[in-house]
Formats: sequence, C-alpha cells, structure tokens
Amino acid sequence: MNIENIEIIRIGVYATSILLILIGLYAVLTKKSLIKIIIGLSIIDGGIHLLLIGIGYIKNGTAPIFSPGFENASAQMVDPVPQALVLTAIVIGFGVTAVALALIIRLYRHHNTLKIDEIKNLKW
Amino acid sequence: MKKTIVILLLAAFGYFLAITFLDPDFEKDRNRNGVKNVYLEKTVSELKTANTVTAIVVNFRGFDTLGEVTVLFLAASALGSILFKKRHHVGERSITLPASSIVSTGAKLLFPAIILLGVYVFVHGHLTPGGGFQGGTIIATGFLLMLISYRNFSISHNILSVIESLAGILFVVIGLMGFINGGTFLQNFMPTGTLNNLFSGGIIPIIYILVGFKVATELTGLIYTILHEKG
Amino acid sequence: MVGSPVLLIAIPLLAAFLIPLLGIFWKELVRIIPGLVLGYLTILSASLYIDVLNTGTIVETIAGWRAPWGINLVFSPLTGFLATLMTFIGFIIWLYSYRFKRNVEFEAAKKYFIFLMLLVAGSIGIVITGDIFNQFVFIEIVGISAYALTAFYTGRNSAEAAFKYLIMGSLSASALLIAIILIYSQLGTLNMAEIAANIHNMPPQYRVTAMIFFIIGIGVEAEIFPLNGWAPDAYTEAPGPVGSAFAGIVVKAGIYAMVRMMFTLFDISGPMQILIIIGMITLVVAETSALRQVQLKRMLAYSSIGQMGLVLVAFGMGTKAGVFAALFLMLNHAIIKPLLFFSGSYLVFNSKEKNISEMSGLGKLMPFTAAFFALGSFAIVGLPPFAGFWSKLSVLTAAANDGLLLIIAIVLLVSIVEIVYYFRVINRIYFFKFDKATSVVPHKPRVNALIAMAILAILILVIGFYPDSVSEILNRASEDLLNTPDYIKNVLSTGQSLTY
Repeated sequence: MNIENIEIIRIGVYATSILLILIGLYAVLTKKSLIKIIIGLSIIDGGIHLLLIGIGYIKNGTAPIFSPGFENASAQMVDPVPQALVLTAIVIGFGVTAVALALIIRLYRHHNTLKIDEIKNLKW
Repeated sequence: MKKTIVILLLAAFGYFLAITFLDPDFEKDRNRNGVKNVYLEKTVSELKTANTVTAIVVNFRGFDTLGEVTVLFLAASALGSILFKKRHHVGERSITLPASSIVSTGAKLLFPAIILLGVYVFVHGHLTPGGGFQGGTIIATGFLLMLISYRNFSISHNILSVIESLAGILFVVIGLMGFINGGTFLQNFMPTGTLNNLFSGGIIPIIYILVGFKVATELTGLIYTILHEKG
Repeated sequence: MVGSPVLLIAIPLLAAFLIPLLGIFWKELVRIIPGLVLGYLTILSASLYIDVLNTGTIVETIAGWRAPWGINLVFSPLTGFLATLMTFIGFIIWLYSYRFKRNVEFEAAKKYFIFLMLLVAGSIGIVITGDIFNQFVFIEIVGISAYALTAFYTGRNSAEAAFKYLIMGSLSASALLIAIILIYSQLGTLNMAEIAANIHNMPPQYRVTAMIFFIIGIGVEAEIFPLNGWAPDAYTEAPGPVGSAFAGIVVKAGIYAMVRMMFTLFDISGPMQILIIIGMITLVVAETSALRQVQLKRMLAYSSIGQMGLVLVAFGMGTKAGVFAALFLMLNHAIIKPLLFFSGSYLVFNSKEKNISEMSGLGKLMPFTAAFFALGSFAIVGLPPFAGFWSKLSVLTAAANDGLLLIIAIVLLVSIVEIVYYFRVINRIYFFKFDKATSVVPHKPRVNALIAMAILAILILVIGFYPDSVSEILNRASEDLLNTPDYIKNVLSTGQSLTY
C-alpha cells in the first residue's frame, strides 16, 4: 500500500494519541506535585483510549447503530468492538483515578503537602 | 539534568511507538473480518438490538461489564475505606462554595431536567448512543450540581448503598437466571421483540437500566464522600 | 457435573454486593459470609478439578456465544490446579483473619472482607479466563482491591506505599492495553485460543512489540525485577494477612498470566532466554536485598520476589521438567509463604518498627508460633524433610537435564544466601536471651489463627514426606501448559475458527 492511500485522518489520530501518551508520561516522570502526576496518568489514559478508537476506523464509516430503514448497512459501519472496549477502559481508568485522589487526600492529611520530595518515608 | 534524561527516554519510546503505529504496513496485513462482522450480523438477527456497541457491552462481552461494575463498586468502597475516620461528622462539608442566587435558582430548575435526560439515556441505551454508564454519569452530575449550589443539600448514604447493592445483586441474579433457562451465564432468556422498539433486545435493556442505577448511585456516593471529607 | 466454572467468579461478586445489605441486619454476617463463599469456592473448584482430571478440560461459554465471539472460561488441568490452590489459600487467610478488627471498627472490617474476597475472585478470574481483555479487567479488579488493602491501616506510610503501587500498577495497565490494541488491530480478535492459532500471521515486528508491552503490563503483578519496587513497601504496610494474600494468590496469578502469554499466546517453544534472564536478575537482586533488611516483613517480601524469579527461571527452561519444577515451586511457595507471614506477624505483633532485632528470645515465650516460623523457614530454604526441598531439587534436576550449569550454580549460591538470612532470624528467636527493654511483648495467637497455621504446617510436612502425592497432579498440569494445539482445539471445538 502506498502513502497516498493512507487517510490523513488515521495518521493524525495515531500521532495525536502517541503525543498524548508521551505528554502524560513526561508529567508522571518529572512533575513534583501528586495531583499533577495523577493528571499525567489521566492524559496517558486519554491517549490510549484515542488509539483504541482509532483502530476501529474505516473510511467513510458510520456509527454502528441500525436505524429504521438501514438494517443492511453493516458494511459501512465502523468496528464496534473498540468502542465497547474503550467504554470499559474509561470506567476502569475512572475508578483508579478516584482511588488515587483519595490516597492523595490521605497523604495531604498526614504531611500537609503535595510535594513528592517531602513525602519520602519509604524508599522511592 | 533529570529532565533531559526523561526527554531522551520519551523520544526513544515515542519513536518506538511511532514506527509501530505510523508504519504504512500497519494497515496492510490487518484482519478486518475478525469478530466485527459476526457481531454486526448477530446483533440484528438474534438480539434485535439497534445499537451494536450496547449489544457487545451487555451481551457478547457482558462478563467484562460485570467486572467493570465491580471495579466501580470497589473504587467506591475503597474511597470509603481510605478516607475512613473514627469520628465522622455527618453532614459537615469540607468545601462550602458560596453559590449566588442565580446559580441556586438555575440549579433547582435544571435538576429535574438533568435527571430526566439521564433516565432517557439509559432507558434507550439499546436504541440510541448512550447507555447505563453514560446515563448514570449524567444523573450524578445533577446531584453534583445540587451539592455545590446548596450548602445543606444532603443525600442519605444508606439509601445510596442499598440501591447500589440491589442493582449489583440483580445484575448477577439475571446472569444466573440465564443458567436456569438458557444454559449459560448472562444468556438472553426473554423474547427479543422487534428491532428498534423500546421493548426489544431481551435482557439487554434491563441490565443496562440496572447498570445505570448502579453507576448513578456509585458516582453520587463518590462525590458525597469526597465533599464530606474534612482535611 | 457439580457446578460450572463461572460460579467461581459470579458467587463472590454476588456476595460482595450482598454484604453491605446483610451487614445492616447482623454485623457478624460480614465475617461469616466471605468464609462461607471462600469455603464453597474451594469445594467447588476441587470437585470441578477432579472432574477435569477424569474427563478433560471444561470450556465454559458466557452469554451463549461460542469461543471466538463471546468470552469463555477455560478450566483445564493447569488452570484448575491454580484456581483450587488460590481458593484454598484464600479460605485459610479468611480463617486466620476471622477476628480481624472484631468489636472494634465495623465499617473497616466490612471493607476488609469485601476486598479480600474480591482479591481472591479477581485472581481466579485472571487464571481461568480465555480472553485477553477480560484478563485486563480482572487484573484491574485485583489491582484496586490490592491498593485499598495496602492503604488499609490509617498509619502514616500505608497511603504512600499504596500510592506507589497505584502509579506502577496503572502505568503497567496502560502498557497492557497498548499490547491488547496491537493484537486486536492485527488479528481482529481478543480470544486467547484464536490469537494463539493465528499469531504466526502477525508481522514479526508487531509481535515483538506486543510481547514487550505484555511483559511490562503483567510484570507489576508478577513482581519481575524493574517493576517490583512497590512490593516490599506494600507487603510491609499492609495488614499481615494481606501480605500473605499477595504472596500466595496475586503473584501466582501474575506469573500464570505471564507464562500463558509466553507459552500459548505467542506460541514460543523451547528455552525462553528472556524469561531466564528476567528471572535470574530478579532472583539475585531480591535475595541480596533480603540479606540487608532489618524489618521482618520486608525481608519476607524480598524473599517472595526472589522465589518468583526462580519460578520464572524454571518456566524459562521450556522443558517439561522445567515447567514441572516451576509449578512445584509455586505450590510450595503458596503454602509456605502464608505460614511465614502468619507466624511472623504474630511474632512482631506488638512492635512498632517490626524489626528483626526485636525478636530475641521469643522461642520460649511463644512456642507454637516460633515453631511454625522455624518450620516455614526450613521449608522455604529447602532443607530435606520439608516440602521446599523437593521443589528446589526438581529445579536443579531440570537444569541439569539441559546442562544449564550457570543456573545450577546461581540457584545453589542463592540458597546459601537464603539460609543465612532465615537462620539469622531463627537464631535470634531461639538462642538469644529475652530482653524486656528491646524485645517485643509476646502476643498469644488466637485459636483460629493457630488452626490456620497448623493446617499449612501439616500440608508442608505431608508434601515433604510424600512428594509423590502431588507429582501426578503437577505432571498433568505441566503437560497441559506445554500443549498449545490441544488448548486451541479445546476452546475452538465448540465453534469454527475465523477464516482468513
């Protein structure tokens, strides 16, 4: 397959999601505030969800919902499986984020700070 | 110094991802006829559900959804356990935002509409985009609006947890009823009706309504726990 | 047929949703129900396992869709063995912690039992599921309950340990998701058997990338070397029984997921250098770190990581003898490590720092607990009449069969290190004088804890004296792991394969 046939939109989606993953990783690795680390994790999650949706794309695809009169339109529908998976992944990511925020509240209660440098009772 | 190392590492990782996903060959050998076509076909012919995504979430991969609901339940329980304190001051807010009268009047006006929209979204989950998770989230935003605009708006935590538990129990029980009637867990045992009717899809709308109740109560509970946590 | 594998997941989830309701009526139910559930699961999985050994693998479809389309559960000689082991250990942990926070804090105790039960259920799910995305969901269930259990005590450090665990866990979950995306985008399916059947159609460069992301994704639960930074802190900060649940149940599920991925999903046969290298590094680093620890639970945690490294090395040999040795090690570790954690946490019960140096002379004051700890130590370092000896011996014979002299040398060296650090503790318990100023105040164990420890100790002795009693089971399990074509056939026999 040559370059012209690849839709620009797909490359755009993949590149954006990879960029999001990298931005999130950068935040997780360098930021000092606990809240910013969690924001970084959420950005990574967002990038991965975009990537997951991106692989289901087909050219000129429509939503995988059968409306009256279009019961045989399945050939033009995008892949519904990644959409179902991304729903699960979003909910799981939400659960993890909620637990992380609760842990941050606990840490703040004990240390009165959100700086990761000042919370080092255990070896990091 | 540390930042330079991190940036170099990320550049290497990004290159690694890019040569995988941006490779022109990535699309070439793909198997596009995997499970997708079977799902699209069976959704119409056997499940009579208009929204294929809902059919996959609730029926084909319903076991994932059961796990997902459990993850939310766990997150809500974990929040309660992590923020647990012996002397819990009931009704005391950690954050009290001064809401102007415009906000509080508007909230009162909007609240029933938001709840109605949420209910609509999860009741029609098998026909239109949306479903239990989305509808539940919309309902929870309604409660969030009320909680931030009224200082003394309170919800009984016990009622929330009873509704949440009942919804979860019914989900598993409906799954187990598939055993008795159809043979496998979560299998459809009800008449499927006709495509694009409100009463179609067998157990799919029932399960999604239960998921909607569970998600709405769990998210409201999460917001409530965090708002009533005194630091 | 007594039941079906799906009940192993459905019943604990049902009970978890029920417990908050039942707790309103009678508070004691919150403790009794999880025990009943775990006991029932043990009986159910044991009877299913006997069924499987007699008649062959059970493949359970869910929602009535055949293998490549719906999610399916595979209860084979290998997964059945692990599921039975996990439910049994889960039951023992429940028995040990029955009086946990009794009459003290009702809410906290309720949460503890819910998390413990879902931790066991999620681990069983990781083992018996036949679908990679479903496995991801179960890994997250295990993950969130593990974070919550780690942060259970409201002390200063537990939230920090849990936060560290959460960051690593959720980064690795992202890696796992990327691997799943790659596989789905290329093969168009999520079913493990279907992937295994078609994996050679996937371009090799994507296959390698997917495998790397898989290893990162599962490595956190399996405690492999660069990804196990959370483990010592989490083991130390979590309540005692939870440490044994991590060592006895969660890690086993992680190792299983990794091995299933290597052997079946990517269909690699013969020796796997990557597993041997990862395992070796994990083994050496963990055992040398264990030598330097001053806290008892930290030492046990590093010892547990080291044992998992050894398991990976044994799996990496790729031969039947190697897999047999690895499964034997997993079985023994699942029995011995909880015993060490149980008795160890009673030995340092009243101490704040939980240091080894505070344990002087406890052997005379807490005779039973100290004896159980000594038994566990002897067994895990591999002294002859106990269970650990046979598993170490089978690792060495498997390595000798392949002529891997380096592995033999390292395993023997590491055993000496293990002997040093375990015997340092035992020496202190038995041959040091009890000193009121520095030693811990002894704490008499409860009856239910003593029964739990005694059951494990009896099992160690039984396996030690009659190793043949388990070798048949382990043989069947290792044959099952190595036989990928049969796995594919069993799962897909109910429906035809997707056509290319």
